[in-house]
Amino acid sequence: MSAGPGRRLIPAYLVTGGRSRPAGPALDRLAVLVRTDTALPPDTGSEQRRLCELLEPGALTVVECAAHLDLPVSATVFLATDLAAAALLLTRPPIPSAGEIDRSLVERLLVGLRSLH
Amino acid sequence: MGWIVAVIAVIAAVVAQARSYGSARSEQVAVAHYEVAERQMRAAEARTAALVDEIRQLAHKRIPAVAVALSHPSAQVPGLREAAEVDGDSARLLTEAVQAARDAVLEERQRVDAAARAAMRGTSAKIQSLLNQSQQLLHELQHEYDDPRILQLDFRNELALRRTQSTAVLCDAWPGLARQNSPLVEIVLGAQSRVAGYERIKVANHLREERIALAARAAEPLAIALAELLANATAYSHPDTDVTVTLQQSGGRGAFVVVDDAGIGMDEDALDRARALLAGPAEVLLTELGDPPQTGFAVVGRLVVQYGFHCHIEASPFGGMRTILRVPAHLLTVLKEDRTLSALAPTPVSAHPTAADQAAPTAPAASAAPKTPAATADFAAPAAPAQDPPESDAAEPTGLPSRRRRTPRPAAVASRAAAAVPATGQVPRTPEQAESSWAALQQGTLNGRSVAGRAPAPDSDGHDHLGDQDDQGDDET
Repeated sequence: MSAGPGRRLIPAYLVTGGRSRPAGPALDRLAVLVRTDTALPPDTGSEQRRLCELLEPGALTVVECAAHLDLPVSATVFLATDLAAAALLLTRPPIPSAGEIDRSLVERLLVGLRSLH
Repeated sequence: MGWIVAVIAVIAAVVAQARSYGSARSEQVAVAHYEVAERQMRAAEARTAALVDEIRQLAHKRIPAVAVALSHPSAQVPGLREAAEVDGDSARLLTEAVQAARDAVLEERQRVDAAARAAMRGTSAKIQSLLNQSQQLLHELQHEYDDPRILQLDFRNELALRRTQSTAVLCDAWPGLARQNSPLVEIVLGAQSRVAGYERIKVANHLREERIALAARAAEPLAIALAELLANATAYSHPDTDVTVTLQQSGGRGAFVVVDDAGIGMDEDALDRARALLAGPAEVLLTELGDPPQTGFAVVGRLVVQYGFHCHIEASPFGGMRTILRVPAHLLTVLKEDRTLSALAPTPVSAHPTAADQAAPTAPAASAAPKTPAATADFAAPAAPAQDPPESDAAEPTGLPSRRRRTPRPAAVASRAAAAVPATGQVPRTPEQAESSWAALQQGTLNGRSVAGRAPAPDSDGHDHLGDQDDQGDDET
């Protein structure tokens, strides 16, 4: 996207279409995008088309899509919410990362296992 | 003795007679001389008066009029008042005085303008480098934080940068920024991004060769020129109308970028002035650009001359103006295959004629451009550039989360994932479906463990769509 040193040619804000906020609910950068079966309408923009092609083989998170499209996450969210509004994508909240294991629960489990003998 | 006296008297009388006669003649001569002198003096006085009048005319009317005519070509410059009253030499000298005054004013104007341009050039160069630095920072911030306001900030910065850059070009600065060979489509998008109201600009790509690119030295200049044309088109048309940009190639004559707006158009005078500026005059004075200065066409004119583009303006069939920027063949190349086009670049409209819902923008009659039907923004076929065959069964589900190839599939988008996946399973599963399949698994396990139970396990559509976990572990900041 950037052409060597100096100034990049195509800025990311082009995909926002002049809007300051994405349409619809906010998307986390780890939200998962899934392509639906709806066929693409013929007037789909090229960047939306590219995003849908990315999701053909399976689901990806927003931040991964952003990396593939070479766009910042904030711009990719605009694309994703537009496509979700057109029912071309499904968005899922991020998969929660594994938390700390409750130590007391594990101890109780151990006690229970021992008492099985 | 008496006759002697008489003779003397006679002589005296004769002499007296003669004397009186001579004095009368000399008197006549003197009178004649006097009259001549009188006449000459009057003529000289008249000439002097005429000359003084001419000099007054010179000082009060002719020289100021010449100075005005330098900036208003239509202004009348008066000549001599009474050409018959002034002799040739004086007339010539007076005319020379007018000429000398004109030259002096012209020279001084050019000196002042050059000084102003130098000052502006220095300032705009400084501002430009500062804005470039903030752009770099904004670019980094965009990838670090997900706040959409950073995108807006970037846009404002870009607008300021365009203004500064065009001022610099107008003030004889080098357009700057050596780029690499850049695809024409991307240059058009770059120009689009530098204009307020960019969302109204619709790019229709009718290039036969998608990878056509501009030579490095002409890439940025073309972007600057095109941004000025687009800025004019958006500024002088209603906010609800679109500005269409059509990219076309012509047989061996380079490429065209046609900008159409549905704006208010221009009157004859403005059009003439625009054409004069677009032709790239040798020198454009800042003082001639009006207040506030109308710099757009002047900037394009300068770049046209320096880089050999060609720009034509006429009334558009859509009601506003149409500008056609021609890029000569010697500035065009074709990109190597290893360079991918930007995700935002519109793919070329398929070549076969479709039912166009809009009149085709065609090149002017002077050029032999093919008349391509314009299906504006109507992508009849998704042109997926599939260079290499896709990996067969790339999406074969294994038990483990796996990275898949992300090459675009050449197949049409409609038949999705035809080969590997049985088309029974909806990708998004409802909680009930998930519950039933897990319950079936549990049931099957129990059945397998119980020796007696031989109940057939209901087959689950064992295709798990595991959302690939992002392994970079970047956390929200």
